[in-house]
Amino acid sequence: MSATNIIIRKRITRLFLVVGTILILLIGRLAWIQFVRGEELREKALANRMDDIPVPATRGTIYDRNGRELVVSISSDSICAFPPVVKSGDAEKTARELARILDLEYDDVYKRITKNTNFEYVQRKVDIEKSKEIRDLNLTGIDIIEESQRSYSKGKFASHILGFVGMDNAGLDGIELKLNKELAGIPGRIITEKDARGREIPQALHEHEEPVPGNNIYLTLDETIQYFAERELDNVMAQYQPKGATVIVMEPRTGAVLAMANRPDYEPAEYGTTPAENRRNMAIQFNYEPGSTFKVIPAASALEEGVVKPESRFYDKGYAVVGDRKIKCWRFPRTHGSQSFEEVVMNSCNPGFVEIGLDLGEERFYQYIRAFGFGRKTGIDLPGEATGILIPEKDIKPINIATISIGQSISVTPIQLITAVSALANDGLLMKPRLVNKITDSSGKVVRTEEPEPVRQVVSKSTARQLAGILEKVVNSGTGRNAYLEGFRVAGKTGTAQKAGPGGYVEGRYVASFAGFAPADDPQVAILVVIDEPQGGIYYGGQIAAPVFKNLAKDILRYLNVTPELSEEEIKNRSDQAEVLVPDVVNMSLEDAQDILREAGLKARIEGEGSWVVEQQPKGGIRFPAGSQVLIYLGDKGGTVPNGQEVTMPDLTGLTMREAGQLLGRLGLQINAVGTGLVSEQKTAPGTKLKSGSTVTVVFTPQVPEPSP
Amino acid sequence: MLIERRLIKNFDFTLLVITVLIVVFGLVILSSATHATMARGDDPYAFVKKQGLSFFLGLVAIALLLKIDYSWFTKYAKLIYGVNILLLLAVKVIGQEQHGAQSWISIGSFNLQPSEFAKIAMVITFAVYLAGREGKLSRFRDLIPTFVFFGLPMGLIIMQPDLGTALVFIGIYFGMLFVAGARPTHLIILILTGALLVGGILTAQLAFGLEKPLKPYQLDRLTIFTDPYKDPRGAGYHVIQSLVSLGSGGLWGKGLYQGTQTRLNFLPEQKNDFIFSVVGEELGFLGVSALLLLFYLFVYRGIVIAMRSKDMLGALLATGIVSIIVFHLLVNVGMAAGIMPITGIPLPFFSYGGSSMLANMLGVGILLNVYMRRQVLTF
Repeated sequence: MSATNIIIRKRITRLFLVVGTILILLIGRLAWIQFVRGEELREKALANRMDDIPVPATRGTIYDRNGRELVVSISSDSICAFPPVVKSGDAEKTARELARILDLEYDDVYKRITKNTNFEYVQRKVDIEKSKEIRDLNLTGIDIIEESQRSYSKGKFASHILGFVGMDNAGLDGIELKLNKELAGIPGRIITEKDARGREIPQALHEHEEPVPGNNIYLTLDETIQYFAERELDNVMAQYQPKGATVIVMEPRTGAVLAMANRPDYEPAEYGTTPAENRRNMAIQFNYEPGSTFKVIPAASALEEGVVKPESRFYDKGYAVVGDRKIKCWRFPRTHGSQSFEEVVMNSCNPGFVEIGLDLGEERFYQYIRAFGFGRKTGIDLPGEATGILIPEKDIKPINIATISIGQSISVTPIQLITAVSALANDGLLMKPRLVNKITDSSGKVVRTEEPEPVRQVVSKSTARQLAGILEKVVNSGTGRNAYLEGFRVAGKTGTAQKAGPGGYVEGRYVASFAGFAPADDPQVAILVVIDEPQGGIYYGGQIAAPVFKNLAKDILRYLNVTPELSEEEIKNRSDQAEVLVPDVVNMSLEDAQDILREAGLKARIEGEGSWVVEQQPKGGIRFPAGSQVLIYLGDKGGTVPNGQEVTMPDLTGLTMREAGQLLGRLGLQINAVGTGLVSEQKTAPGTKLKSGSTVTVVFTPQVPEPSP
Repeated sequence: MLIERRLIKNFDFTLLVITVLIVVFGLVILSSATHATMARGDDPYAFVKKQGLSFFLGLVAIALLLKIDYSWFTKYAKLIYGVNILLLLAVKVIGQEQHGAQSWISIGSFNLQPSEFAKIAMVITFAVYLAGREGKLSRFRDLIPTFVFFGLPMGLIIMQPDLGTALVFIGIYFGMLFVAGARPTHLIILILTGALLVGGILTAQLAFGLEKPLKPYQLDRLTIFTDPYKDPRGAGYHVIQSLVSLGSGGLWGKGLYQGTQTRLNFLPEQKNDFIFSVVGEELGFLGVSALLLLFYLFVYRGIVIAMRSKDMLGALLATGIVSIIVFHLLVNVGMAAGIMPITGIPLPFFSYGGSSMLANMLGVGILLNVYMRRQVLTF
């Protein structure tokens, strides 16, 4: 063999080695695709051939703390078809049955259910009886899916807290957003197999995965107290046309928010067309200089630190000088003269508080400001909470300490302030503000309970009690007189803050507020009222916010069954104010309800549309001052209630047989009347849930007019 | 007996057995790739039958080819080269267009694809040319005539346009020149120059949005494999579906005839360019490994034949045929695995196509021929 041949052989061998290497690399690449990326690509292959039709889950209900529905989802059934499966059965018979039940043209139905696709809706939002009938027939390739829609039947009521959902049923604001994960549930799916061109395939797989309904949320909100707050804000808006206003009612012991209302407000169902300004939840997003209401903080801190005692003496010459600045008292040029610490608080005397603040000193004062929760979010279960603004410690000057002492140079949010005031009412223990009591699943099983959450003991119990006593005097004989409530011991502090604008404080733009709690010796509620830029020349917190506090405290304490303890003086002065029993007008026509309320001496305010009262606020049976407003919610007339749907048994007491019969008839209930006269007894208790179509027994007794007392 | 006994004794049965195994494997896969997507009423195995027929014709061709001593090629090289060029020209003039390329000539009911045979023709004629220049390839200028030799048919193929076949031509060219004794430095310079040229053209086209020399869709097809999700429904669709098919097969595969990508027609060109992915989906990593092993054995036999050949011509013929098979395998599997541009070249013995099958069988015939006549006759 020649030398050339050896070279050739070497080269051939080398060529073979190159080929071998390349083949090994190829195998490596294939292993990478088939093992490392196998799982991912297997899923892609599955996704390729599976058509996925999502079935939305029913959103959970939002209740108040007593289990009253605030937001519900209305669900309806939709009929759908899987054409390949339909064709495997008797398509003509199926079409005939569907056309009959749904009252559709046979040809249209047949065409639709035998279409060259994998999935078709036959009809959406079908009546319950019809869908039930179809379900019972068990037609081949026909399935029923439940679809649901959010219903905001209460309109603007608590809209800032509840929030709203968008087109895709996802929460966009309020609790709906913050707890969207809980409420949303898990959507179900309808899966069908298809080929590359999306055509049906014989013996296609199809699967119906039921959605998991969302959880229900029980808020700390009390529908009735919320209603009081909404009512008071309506009055404030009408009287003073402010830029905005907010009310927060808190239970000091637990930090539970019982009511939170804002103006301006909005209709959740029309969130898209309302300005963002109206959707702003002032109670947690409004950064404002609190003015005098903030004075409770330096007062409590100074008492706790022993810087002052209630009887410490102060002298007001009408102003205080700090550095090169002169801080005037609101009473300037008149003065408060010589006064005790108690009187400084009662008079809301600025120079007095400046002295207290400076005595406390920057470090201690800031420690307390932070301990009371200012300068940081409270962590309430709502989106978009603001933090307020504190001057950073490193930049602070004595003049700042002086102005912060009187509630200026510091921005707080209403929720921060009410939380701090609640801490004073709760023997110095600061609680985290709460909106959620518990969360249950769709069957009612409790998933999570939220317990009151203490944050820290800010001041001692004795300091808190001492300050409560002083704040009670503010109301009894100080700047807070307009919050005075007969029969109850009320503690509170007024505030009137001039708003800062470009170049300093602006004349004519004020924030009026009142923060307080009652009863002072055993606080059940703490209430904050903030009115932003009231119009018409009256702007003092004591003048316009304190009366709101008083009205709220009065109704809330009565509603909470807190017994008034009249002092002898009060008993003597007591004028006989007429009180009436609120009649129950739920399940009545609008005209009837209005008549009955008018006769009872109450005004009716109407919410919603329809001719039928579905809900009222306050509820029937409560004693209420004559001339008060009763909010009635309208809805569809009960006569359309189909058989089998759940209805609420109304209270028939005192109705005539005709009235009772009409009322039950509208709910689709059959009456079994016993006796004659007026209803004296009903075998099914009011409020019981029962199926429409059921029969209820009602006992009538002849009524003898009661002798007048 | 038409062939001498001595020759029969030297017949490479191993190579034939490997070839038959590959072809049978290919027919089984082809049946899976075609039977489910056939229109109703048509014979679901029509493609398999046609392919089987081509294989049979290939066997006949081999038998005929074996009768001729491969040294005959020396005499007819010029004729073969001329006919080859004429056929490629004819395609340009009277050819049928399919999938955007004009590569077919209709003869009666048969569609002939000359570019498949052109590869064999180039191997034969180039082997003859290089064997005649043994030891005269050490200077760079010695290579210049080979540019013309390859440039003419390659130009015609690029004009069809059939980039895949052109790529195989390059493989044949370098493989054979290397074995024929050209200096590796020269070859590397050539490869680098070519790579720079192609790279430059592509970069310029991409950067300036030019529409020449490649049409935009061709450019897309060439570059999409780097990021198929840039256009998942268009240019990237083939690569994505191929990867999904391969990947979803895993170790064992979904089972023969059970591939959803194949059965539901998500995998495009599954009986032609992407038949490898069918193997991957239905028989998994084990299936593709078996396939690559068979080809490895085939190439190994081809190399052995090249080494044992009695003269330069035989060695070059065998090298050329092996180059064809290796390049087809590399480009086709690389394309299915998303590491090579989509150039549309078949997997030898697997992809459906009579011309391709026949040409590959002729290649096998040449290998067998070289091996049979490896002993220098000494009387």
